[in-house]
Amino acid sequence: MITTEQKKFEEIEQMTKGYNRLLVLGCETCSAMSFAGGQRQVSELAVALRIARKTAAQEGEVLEDAIARQCEPEFVDLVMDIVADCDAVLSLACGAGVQMLAERFPDKIILPGCNTMFLGVTEEFGVWSERCAGCGSCTLDKTGGLCPIARCSKRLFNGPCGGSQNGKCEINPDIACVWQLIYDRLKGLNQLEKLQEILPIKDWSNSFHGGTRKIVREDLKL
Amino acid sequence: MKSGSNLEKILASGQFAVTAECGPPKGTSAKVIQRKGELLKFHCDALNVTDNQTAIVRMSSLSGCVLLKQMGVEPVMQIVVRDRNRLAIQSDILGAVALGIRNVLCLSGDHQKFGNHPGAKGVYDIDSMQLIQTLKLMRDEKKFLSGEDISGDVPLFIGAAANPFADPFEFRVVRLAKKVKAGADFIQTQAIFDVPKFARWMEMVRDRGLDKKVHILAGVIPVKSVGMARYMRNNVSGLSVPNELVDRMADAKDAREEGVNTCLEIIEQIKEIDGVHGVHIMAVAWEDIVPAIVEKAGLMPRPVI
Amino acid sequence: MTGSKPNTKDEYPPCKLACPISTDVREYVQLIAERRFEDALHAIRKQNPLPRVCGRICIHPCETACKRGDIDEPIAITALKRFAADGPWKETVKQTPEKALSGYKVAVIGSGPAGLAAAHDIALLGHSVTIFEKLPVGGGMMAVGIPAYRLPRDVLASEIKAIEDLGVELKTSAAFGEDVTLDGLRAEGYQAFFLATGLHLSRGLNVEGEDLPGTLKGVEFLRDVALGKPIAVGKRVIVIGGGNVAVDVARTALRVGAEDVLIVCLEKREEMPASDFEIEEAREEGITILNCFGPKRFLGKNGKFSGIEFKFCTCLFDEKGAFCPRYDKTQLKVIESDTAIIAIGQAAGLSFANKEGISVTARGGLEADPVTLQTPVENVFAGGDVFHGPRTVTDAIATGKRAAAAIDCYLKGKPLPVGDSTETPERAKLAPAVIEKTRKFSRCSFSLAPTDQRIKGFGEVTSALSEELATKEALRCLHCYLGARIDREKCVSCLTCVRVCPLGVPTTSKMGEIAIDPFACQACGMCALECPVQAINISLHTRGKIAQDIEDAVAKSQHPKSQYPGPLIVGFFDLHGNFSYSDVQDLGRDYPNILPVMVFGLRRIDTSDILKAFQYGADGAFLAGCPSDVDPFPEAREKTKQRATHAKAVLQAVGLDEERLEIFDMPNHGLVKKEKIVELIQRIGTMAQARSE
Repeated sequence: MITTEQKKFEEIEQMTKGYNRLLVLGCETCSAMSFAGGQRQVSELAVALRIARKTAAQEGEVLEDAIARQCEPEFVDLVMDIVADCDAVLSLACGAGVQMLAERFPDKIILPGCNTMFLGVTEEFGVWSERCAGCGSCTLDKTGGLCPIARCSKRLFNGPCGGSQNGKCEINPDIACVWQLIYDRLKGLNQLEKLQEILPIKDWSNSFHGGTRKIVREDLKL
Repeated sequence: MKSGSNLEKILASGQFAVTAECGPPKGTSAKVIQRKGELLKFHCDALNVTDNQTAIVRMSSLSGCVLLKQMGVEPVMQIVVRDRNRLAIQSDILGAVALGIRNVLCLSGDHQKFGNHPGAKGVYDIDSMQLIQTLKLMRDEKKFLSGEDISGDVPLFIGAAANPFADPFEFRVVRLAKKVKAGADFIQTQAIFDVPKFARWMEMVRDRGLDKKVHILAGVIPVKSVGMARYMRNNVSGLSVPNELVDRMADAKDAREEGVNTCLEIIEQIKEIDGVHGVHIMAVAWEDIVPAIVEKAGLMPRPVI
Repeated sequence: MTGSKPNTKDEYPPCKLACPISTDVREYVQLIAERRFEDALHAIRKQNPLPRVCGRICIHPCETACKRGDIDEPIAITALKRFAADGPWKETVKQTPEKALSGYKVAVIGSGPAGLAAAHDIALLGHSVTIFEKLPVGGGMMAVGIPAYRLPRDVLASEIKAIEDLGVELKTSAAFGEDVTLDGLRAEGYQAFFLATGLHLSRGLNVEGEDLPGTLKGVEFLRDVALGKPIAVGKRVIVIGGGNVAVDVARTALRVGAEDVLIVCLEKREEMPASDFEIEEAREEGITILNCFGPKRFLGKNGKFSGIEFKFCTCLFDEKGAFCPRYDKTQLKVIESDTAIIAIGQAAGLSFANKEGISVTARGGLEADPVTLQTPVENVFAGGDVFHGPRTVTDAIATGKRAAAAIDCYLKGKPLPVGDSTETPERAKLAPAVIEKTRKFSRCSFSLAPTDQRIKGFGEVTSALSEELATKEALRCLHCYLGARIDREKCVSCLTCVRVCPLGVPTTSKMGEIAIDPFACQACGMCALECPVQAINISLHTRGKIAQDIEDAVAKSQHPKSQYPGPLIVGFFDLHGNFSYSDVQDLGRDYPNILPVMVFGLRRIDTSDILKAFQYGADGAFLAGCPSDVDPFPEAREKTKQRATHAKAVLQAVGLDEERLEIFDMPNHGLVKKEKIVELIQRIGTMAQARSE
């Protein structure tokens, strides 16, 4: 899933100042599951904004709504009327959702209420960690199913570096050294000889380093 | 001869090599490098110029090496893959060779989060292993990574780092083997304080016959104070500083003297280990002590070939 | 049970399903838990005209079925009903006929529970109704069958009076077939009739000597004692029979002069039809029981009863389960005694049947359609014991109510009700994991007077629950079928409900379809709160209700504002606390600016709820949690604290001092300490002042 974190209230308050009719729009997929932007968070944030605006004697109204995914035009269009009625929309979706809104409503102010973090997994309820860098050319078969691009702080393909200690990354003792994990995993699978091979230089052209990306499936296009 | 550098010649002749390190300034004065070069000119066979060490911006390694070269001191250029992509690296190599630099040390580099520009984007286009391969490609096949030809020779003596004390311990030698396979000619290890552990690592190295394929220079750091000892133990990942050393430094009447003595003891011991072809003295912010250490270790005069 | 439909028999809570009247037990128990005792009695009286009676003598199949029994012990439903029905508020809870008099007249024969219930409902439907009762007192078996120590006479009288207050006329000493006849009544303008004459005769044993002087019949014995007639029992009494009547006879005998009472019955202990608790209470009073013996012959001395020769009953039921006693005639036992009372069964007095043209069944009861209760005579209906055989008061009430509905249709020319032919579902079972994870709380029920006190007279043996214990007991209810339901359209399969449920009830399929077993869910409210897309609805104390309660609480205070001096503070109180209704009233009187919002657990309050209080205009808010030893979900307390802390952070961020919000535990007794309120008012008052300046 894409993980998001809601911005600090002060930042949101500042960003939304001056827009009297404000719509707080939630997204019920990734952002909801990150407990950052689903209906429940929309409700809480809307109430907080109303109180803050009352304190600041700001005119206007804070509205709330949510759609299944803000990255799909059909869902976004379903809130067309509500959006038309507003001065600005505070989107609690990931960056993709915010931009889809801006695209569909180019004459409206669209503001990001969340910071989009990473592609990751749920470790346990309330804890998510990064797993995939979206490099566009997956080589997880070479590293026992553990990605050194997303999980090695130095993106080593032939790690670990000299800073790996007790299985932890030198930059953050809370993060595992993924090369230690890769070593352990391949050892467990009796495939340690894979690590004797020098992994070649990465072709980054299919990642976002190669320019902003697009997938076109001619077999699907209507 | 791959590069004809002094360091290469000395190692090739089977003599015990000595290299040291000098850190460039956080400024524009050439004098800093020049003074250090002056100081260490006759006390080492080659002098490393660090590359934005600990991710703190300093004068570039390439320019520092040029300044040394101008003084007649043989430099070892350090490249960290954190700050340059493959284009810049290959480009800098062409320039370095043109400017007479022959020894190049390939490193990953400390993560930018440690340094003074923690918000910077780390490049990490290729890793240190792939950097070794790149240099070997340029030197031996005179080709760029793109496959195109390089005009002119690329004489290089390729170095890499090794850390016998990082985890997983048993994998470290495998990684060393990979670096050798990739093209490393010489190795400078991370500072050694735990000699028995280093000796065990060297045994594994010898078992694989790697001592015959690559020249290993054992790293040492003279410790200046108990504070420095503690700092290295607690904060520098990749260093294995035993508590006995910290205690020794704490108990010592003259910390500096103790530090030098400890360093000399270590050098003495590692000299005896089969397969160690030299010592690399990293006197961090204490370059002045290097001549004394080299002298007291009985490593003077340095051979001239 | 996936696929079960809410509000159908599939999802009747076990209590409702087991009750002959289909009482909405769950609803009135919840009202008691909320300290809304008057509303609870209203709800009870809507369905049951004799709650003070049932709250004492019903055999409570609801308790046997109660899901709480799977966890620890069933809810003491009977005791709760009695608490609600007996309370001082009963004076203000009266049923009123909704409809004006229709002009129809109905005659009810018999003022037992069936007759009274029918008359009650018929009167509420707007018809004129008269009850004709053969005995000089009203109440049927309740008056002359059930001893006063189980059902005090004044209680019964008050119930009958309440029914008479509806305009029902009760004529006693009027025997059907003699003093009143169908023809006579028809001539007086009665258009429909309900026969509920009961079973007021005893069955005989058909053994030698059973009519010797000194032998009594059980039903007649109880009636005579109840009507105050002089009764002679000897010191040693044998009671024949194993049912509730036999036990009542035995305990009554003890109170009218017997010293040594022995019950002898054919049944093994576990086969005895009498209720366990009745047998227990009898035992406590010193009555002994001899099982597996039946009378062979009654012995006499000097023409008077002197004892019984019993034969051993080897087994009572045949392979098919039918009553078929077999004896070992070689195993005989003689027991000497002064008095024998035969209580082996009841029979109907049907001397009127022939004369009045009423159809009688082979079993000796009145013939009637099992659904409509209509006899072969179109405008004559029958119910109660005389129709279904000897059963409980509640069963009788059920037939009375059914007959009233049928009679109403008959009078209006509408088709008679067809009844519910749907199958009664099997009572679901709770998974052991859910049972284990549910916190146990001990049951509070009737207490019994000490046995030496009891047998002195006919004073009531059981005593009622106090308000404190009744509330505590009602809070043990598990709210069957009022729990979480997922709106499939909104659910995104995020698995939050699966993770946060303290009982592990929700499960997921591979495709992310979440199933919440409505029988297992205890409606704690946590998944509904935590769901990030608000796709879960709880029927108990919905999130919508909480929001409305907050809005109402604050809105009430705005008109007029001058009535509430000082800062407006919303107080969220956990209903599980040990406080009484009067505590809430006192708070309202002393500190009208404290606006209470009662919740079934603070775990239902989300951060946005707390903030809403401020949005609507409150100056401050507090959360008062119940003491941890009475919290059914103690694991949720930490979460609640975190939500309060988070709410404080938001308050700071929006420019309000976080000290306007506080969370604390209620004292062990009472709603909230006075000093706490004073402190809050002072602190928040200062802040409110400062802001407005």
